[in-house]
Amino acid sequence: MSVNLGLAQVSGDFLVAAIVIYSLAVIGFAGDFAFGRPRRANAAGAALASGERAGQLATVGAAQGAAQGASGGAVSEAPEAAGLADGAQAVPADAGSGGTGSGSGGAGSGDPVLPARQAPALRAIWEAGPWVRAAVAFSALGILAHLVAVVTRGFAVHRAPWGNMYEFVTALTCVAAIFFCYVMVRYRAWALGVFVMGAVVVALGLAETVIYTAAGPLVPALQSYWLSIHVTAMTLATGIFFVAAVLGVMYLVVERYRARVAAGKAQPGNGLLARIPSAAQLDKLTYRTVVFGFPIWTFGVIAGAIWADQAWGRYWGWDPVETWAFITWVLYACYLHARATAGWRGRRAHYIQLLGFASLTFNMLVVQVFITGMHSYAGVG
Amino acid sequence: MFRAKRRTVVTVAAVAAVLLAGALAVTLTAGSGQASGVTYIGGDNSQQVYSAGHRALAPDFTGTSLTGTPIRLASYRGKVVVLNFWGSWCAPCRAEGPTLAVLSEQYRSKGVSFLGDDVGDTTANALAFTHDIGIGYPSVNDASYSIVQDFSRVASVGYTPTTVVIDRTGHIAGLVIGKISFQSMTTILNDVAASP
Amino acid sequence: MTDVHTPREQAAAQGEETVTFGTTETEPDATGGGAGTGPSAGWLRWGWRQLTSMRTALVLLFLLALGSVPGSVLPQQGSDPAAVQQYYASHPALAPWLNHLGLFNVFAAPWFAAVYLLLFTSLVGCVVPRTFKLAGSARTPPPRAPRNLARLPHSASFPSSLAPGTAVDAAAAMLGGQRFRLRRPASGDSGHWVSAEKGYLREAGNLLFHLALLGVLVSIALGGLFGYKADKLLVEGQGFSDTRQALDEFHPGRLVSGSDLAPFSLTLDRFSASYLRSGDSRGQPSDFNATVTYSPSPGAPSRTYNIRINDPLPVDSTKIYLIGHGYAPVFKVTDSHGNVAYNEATPFIPANTGTFLSDGVVKAPDASLGFMGVFVPTAVSVGGTLESAFPADDFPAVSLIGYSGNLGMNSGVPQSVYQLNTAGMTKVAGSPHLMLPGQTWTLPGGRGAITFVGVRQWVSLAITYDPGQVPALVCGMLALGGLLLSFLVRRRRVFVRAVPAASGSGSVVTVGGLARTDASGGFEEEFAELAAELAAQQKPEPNNQSEAGA
Repeated sequence: MSVNLGLAQVSGDFLVAAIVIYSLAVIGFAGDFAFGRPRRANAAGAALASGERAGQLATVGAAQGAAQGASGGAVSEAPEAAGLADGAQAVPADAGSGGTGSGSGGAGSGDPVLPARQAPALRAIWEAGPWVRAAVAFSALGILAHLVAVVTRGFAVHRAPWGNMYEFVTALTCVAAIFFCYVMVRYRAWALGVFVMGAVVVALGLAETVIYTAAGPLVPALQSYWLSIHVTAMTLATGIFFVAAVLGVMYLVVERYRARVAAGKAQPGNGLLARIPSAAQLDKLTYRTVVFGFPIWTFGVIAGAIWADQAWGRYWGWDPVETWAFITWVLYACYLHARATAGWRGRRAHYIQLLGFASLTFNMLVVQVFITGMHSYAGVG
Repeated sequence: MFRAKRRTVVTVAAVAAVLLAGALAVTLTAGSGQASGVTYIGGDNSQQVYSAGHRALAPDFTGTSLTGTPIRLASYRGKVVVLNFWGSWCAPCRAEGPTLAVLSEQYRSKGVSFLGDDVGDTTANALAFTHDIGIGYPSVNDASYSIVQDFSRVASVGYTPTTVVIDRTGHIAGLVIGKISFQSMTTILNDVAASP
Repeated sequence: MTDVHTPREQAAAQGEETVTFGTTETEPDATGGGAGTGPSAGWLRWGWRQLTSMRTALVLLFLLALGSVPGSVLPQQGSDPAAVQQYYASHPALAPWLNHLGLFNVFAAPWFAAVYLLLFTSLVGCVVPRTFKLAGSARTPPPRAPRNLARLPHSASFPSSLAPGTAVDAAAAMLGGQRFRLRRPASGDSGHWVSAEKGYLREAGNLLFHLALLGVLVSIALGGLFGYKADKLLVEGQGFSDTRQALDEFHPGRLVSGSDLAPFSLTLDRFSASYLRSGDSRGQPSDFNATVTYSPSPGAPSRTYNIRINDPLPVDSTKIYLIGHGYAPVFKVTDSHGNVAYNEATPFIPANTGTFLSDGVVKAPDASLGFMGVFVPTAVSVGGTLESAFPADDFPAVSLIGYSGNLGMNSGVPQSVYQLNTAGMTKVAGSPHLMLPGQTWTLPGGRGAITFVGVRQWVSLAITYDPGQVPALVCGMLALGGLLLSFLVRRRRVFVRAVPAASGSGSVVTVGGLARTDASGGFEEEFAELAAELAAQQKPEPNNQSEAGA
């Protein structure tokens, strides 16, 4: 079947539209970052406070018996529980101070003391201010255009639209954008938008200019249903790790600032940085993102091995791309181990995570293109 | 405390088992010992003579010679057969050709027949070689190595050239891997041709 | 004084935050039982503890990743020996040093093996004690409910119309229905409470993941010992039987001998390759198809099969793959007397995989002639040089340089079929000579003639046997399953206490919850739902509470 050039053109047009719309969204996020309502900081504080409630109670407990393991346990859990606006913690927009909130328990009050649920998402977006409203709206619109671009490309070439580097980058940035928007809305983390969506715009710009490949059929080696399985999994995992990497960079920035404040070298309350979720929250969010992506990457590597056996006669041959996918896997495993090792949590773990993403990017952009092996399907140049 | 000790023992045993398995895997690759009933000429494994009672039956085959006449191994029963696996593309085979030609003439009167098994070749190329060197005995066309496959079950005919010596009862009495030498062939042939 | 955790458990919880190990960081050494037997035992124990510590695992993992890098940027002996030779040629001073370090065969190098063997030793040394611990903790009941549940990270309380004992019984029934393991106060204990614990699968999944990785390693070793790989190049019309002599290349595992080969025979009937003829991707291959007739064992009936790139032929326990293809122009060479000295389809090796311009040699030792040449499937002249414009054989041509003399084949020294040793030969006048199919080049001096008869195609097939393949896949899937379990399941505890209400009727029920490793989140929601369910359960009369908040 020959390529449907009309649809291919439509795909290209929609991708350009997506880039433009995403750029508008980035401007919206940046505007919120710089000029947004101060009330948001309080809301973030409230989200933190209801988690810190437990910390406060635990502090009381600590005063009562520091030798007991209990306080240690509760305190160590508090930063975990005090994540972003998780599930059942109450996040009223006007909560104001943290205080004792709900659930102080055992006080014998006659009222039901049960954990409350979160305010609905759309309401939260609305209350975050005009910049955020515009940014989220543009993001959603951009994602739609992006999806259309990816889908029409698929119809144009009569196959899953990730058969070369350009298609792969287009698809993975779509995954990253969708995944990130879910994370942002779920955790009300508007301040992350400018960074992640900005990175998406840059990646798409690269795709359109440097690594663009015209729509065409696949070489025989790629004509297999495994394309839909292996490359799809890698696309998904890369998109998710992309978000984790951006979050990791943000963590390092915030953490460095926090350390400087603690050392007295910087003023606390820096307006810009105060808008970003705290280092602890970013750390937790990054961790959850990597945890989500790691099994998908593992599955992608296994599926790739099965396909390699089908096509090349061996399931693992230390082909350069295979090797770098292995290196990436080991580095993310390193990160997961580091997070469980005293002295390696925090900054060092994030360095490892970013190293993992660097190896992933190196694999995608350098190894597949320049180092000849059996994986040279990039179609670039 | 006792429990912890038992755990230690089990852990250490598990690790030791893993390492032992690895060591076994490596040492198992050490070469196997010499088989009984085999004499090695020249001190290496490339030239072997099998004593009576330790000889495998040579698989029978039918085929066509390079000139189109039918050949059957069983029809050579009662004669000693020197079966040489060769190809015109194979340099050591070309080098040993004249020696085989001379030997075939020399031992004809002693009831030894020479037979070639031409592998991976075209008849044109093979005939050009036999005419050039003056090989008078026939070769069976085995371009697809099917006769080799049958022989590989009972003898190590993994390389080209390989020469197999079959006694008068149709059993494999000797084997030369690689290029033959005049001395080794005469030694084997004198031994095998002498027996009934 | 009841605590939320025992100090030992809590220390363990701090270490066990995520996927894997941490026990030896924070726990007292579980393997150190028994009296020490002297300073050497102490050193051994110290060494063992270091080896199985998380820090060591981290370092080893990092070394594994780092060690793989040269294996991907330097040419490797196993996959591309020609590139290794080229590297030696272009880096004559550096290459021998790299070779000493084993960098041209990284994945078989002893130092690489040392890294992953140490890593797996550390892994086994961690997994086995933790398996015991898991088995032990699965047998011990959950701890007693703490006195003050409000100190837990998640807690809630509500009044109940039921008496304390009944309230707790109802709560226990509900929790038990959700597959929590329960503990009730022993007879003689005061107070009404129930402890519930769930989520042992998390650690089980963790252990399964790590053991499955070990299984993958063992499967790879199995394949390396008992498997083999072989290559065979076949021209259309040619066939072969699977035997050592017939194979162009044979890479057996350590414990494989030549007689272990599967007894099949196979003939290449036809090979067809189609290429895109128009558009931006003109010249890109669109399909490869090798039609073969094969017989699984001597005497078995023949079958046909189309081998394609993602569609290997399974025979016996082996699989036959289509790896490459090219052109084999047919030549006939006659000697000075007019006798045919050579008549064969000669495989030429593609130098350009886009246009299939190919190099090859023709060796006719019985005519004392040899030829080196270039074959093009679609001939076009670019500034006087012969080039190929398209990979399909639309307009084939060959250009040969002739040599006359002794090819050196009769001396017995093995030569490559694709290389002509021109030392001791003289170039024939009129070289290079261009020929189209059907044409003959009569060499000057009555030395003979060569005819370009026609064109056939060749394929290269790979035959592989790997008994470790299926076990590796099974272990891989088990590892993935274990990974998902360890990420999705949380070990958590819920406690319910009931005290008589101040008003005299009913009771006040307090619920507390704690997740051992909450890093992956979600327990808050589960706890909120549990609390809501318990509260609803405890209010059979409507004049008590309203529903749980929005």
